[in-house]
Amino acid sequence: MSQSYNRGLIEDFGRWKEFSAGMWAWIFHKFTGWMLIGYLFTHIAVLSTSISAAGESTDVIEAQNDIYSTTLQGLEGLFLIRLLEIGLLAVAVFHILNGLRLLMVDLGIGLESQDKSFYASLVLTGAITVASVPTFLTGVGI
Amino acid sequence: MSTQQAEPESQEAPEDPAMKGAESPAAEEQKGGGMVDEHAEKAAELEGETVHIKVFRYDPEVEGKQEPRFDDFHVPFEKGMTVLDSVMYARDEYDSSLTFRHSCRQAVCGSDAFFVNGKQRLGCKTQISDLEQPVRIEPLPHQEVVKDLVVDMDHFYDQMHTVEPYFQDEDTPPVDDLEEQRQSQENREKIKMSSRCIWCGACMSSCNIAAGDNEYLGPAAINKAYKFAMDDREGEEIKEHRLRILEQEHGVWRCQTQFSCTEVCPKDIPLTEHIQELKREAVKKNLKFW
Amino acid sequence: MAERYSSFTPGGTGWFLQRVTAAFLVVVLAFHFFLLHFVNHAYEVSFMGTQARMENIGYFLTMVLFLVTAAFHGVNGVYNALVNQGLEGTQKKVVLAVLTIAGVGLVAQGTYVALTMSGMI
Repeated sequence: MSQSYNRGLIEDFGRWKEFSAGMWAWIFHKFTGWMLIGYLFTHIAVLSTSISAAGESTDVIEAQNDIYSTTLQGLEGLFLIRLLEIGLLAVAVFHILNGLRLLMVDLGIGLESQDKSFYASLVLTGAITVASVPTFLTGVGI
Repeated sequence: MSTQQAEPESQEAPEDPAMKGAESPAAEEQKGGGMVDEHAEKAAELEGETVHIKVFRYDPEVEGKQEPRFDDFHVPFEKGMTVLDSVMYARDEYDSSLTFRHSCRQAVCGSDAFFVNGKQRLGCKTQISDLEQPVRIEPLPHQEVVKDLVVDMDHFYDQMHTVEPYFQDEDTPPVDDLEEQRQSQENREKIKMSSRCIWCGACMSSCNIAAGDNEYLGPAAINKAYKFAMDDREGEEIKEHRLRILEQEHGVWRCQTQFSCTEVCPKDIPLTEHIQELKREAVKKNLKFW
Repeated sequence: MAERYSSFTPGGTGWFLQRVTAAFLVVVLAFHFFLLHFVNHAYEVSFMGTQARMENIGYFLTMVLFLVTAAFHGVNGVYNALVNQGLEGTQKKVVLAVLTIAGVGLVAQGTYVALTMSGMI
């Protein structure tokens, strides 16, 4: 062949309207996965304040004035943190539900309804997230 | 309508922009404004209902076609018309240089997989009336375009051959002892769907992972391997050998279960299901030796 | 011939462990979220409360196992995602090394943190 034409990755995001349920599930699962592992690193970093807190006196700890308690409660007092927590919940719930769907797929169960189970994961994620908003926003002002 | 097969090497015929029903950018430029009216006029020129198709054009040997473009054709509609029928009409009546592969026209030879309206489909198996117009017809994505709708299938065939797609026996018995190798009915049912593959390449073209990883065997080759690995008539040793090919890094593990292949397969082969079953087989086989 | 098949191929082990950890994480992550946002509230978390929970050896071990599996699942997931993007050769080895170090570091730091919470250190 003298010459040919490489069209490259023509199924890139420019064609997102043509993506199927399975492709969206893959993209969302990957995206939420990145967020969760990123969060795990931050989570352990914040909890590391317990290393100093453990050295503080019993009185300080009982009064919740230790560095661990003040850091966590301080963060929880921020409206932005609460919003991010709701986002985290949504991300975790989707990753769990779609993860269950993928485990079923790996076990060869219900492959014909893989698209429906993806939509179900989305709807359930939305419902659980919305239902959790009051709990996540208790005791915080904007 | 001509039934002869169009090969990539087919003769080059000069384009005639004045032909009715055909439009190319060059022709449009000459005529100037009033595009909407002209569209309507052209459609009216042809008696009855027409179908508007936009076909991907590329030819490295013709100046003006070295940059890919889309050509518009208005093809008279007939009940039962397929995508393949429409491009054949366009080639026979408007532009004989329009190139694409086709042979049996009944979804058996697997030569005419195109990217139609954003999805890999078999031209001869897709009713044009089911599609939204204008129908956009492109060559299969993720393969090099040789000319117009013809893509280079070498890589696809290479992957197919990697899995040794032929029946194997450990020791060939002496000629005198050869007898018919019967298959149980259940086993035949098990591999029935996998044996329907017509090597059209639609699945491989739809696969996101195969697009990014050239070494990935791809759905068609894995399905081919499934057909033989699951065939009881082949010995245990051969099955292990087959699984070893499949469980290499660029084998079954690369599948991310996006179901793209399963959705585009014109023969309705449950490709993802077969790939998943092979993953489980590989894990089970390895667990046994723990 | 058996020896040749005696170990998992790299891809197969990772694939299998990713699923095993997934099955565990689904349960524990849901439990973790439920316990610290619905049963207890995140804004009420104090070092004392954390200590009380972590002094239960069953809870402590669950949390450490949670950390180990989550770190593996996450880091392996990131690695797979990058490999699928076409990472190869030296680059691939470097990424694997970096991710392994990050994962081991995360587990080490997390375990240390858990020990201070439980009062074992």
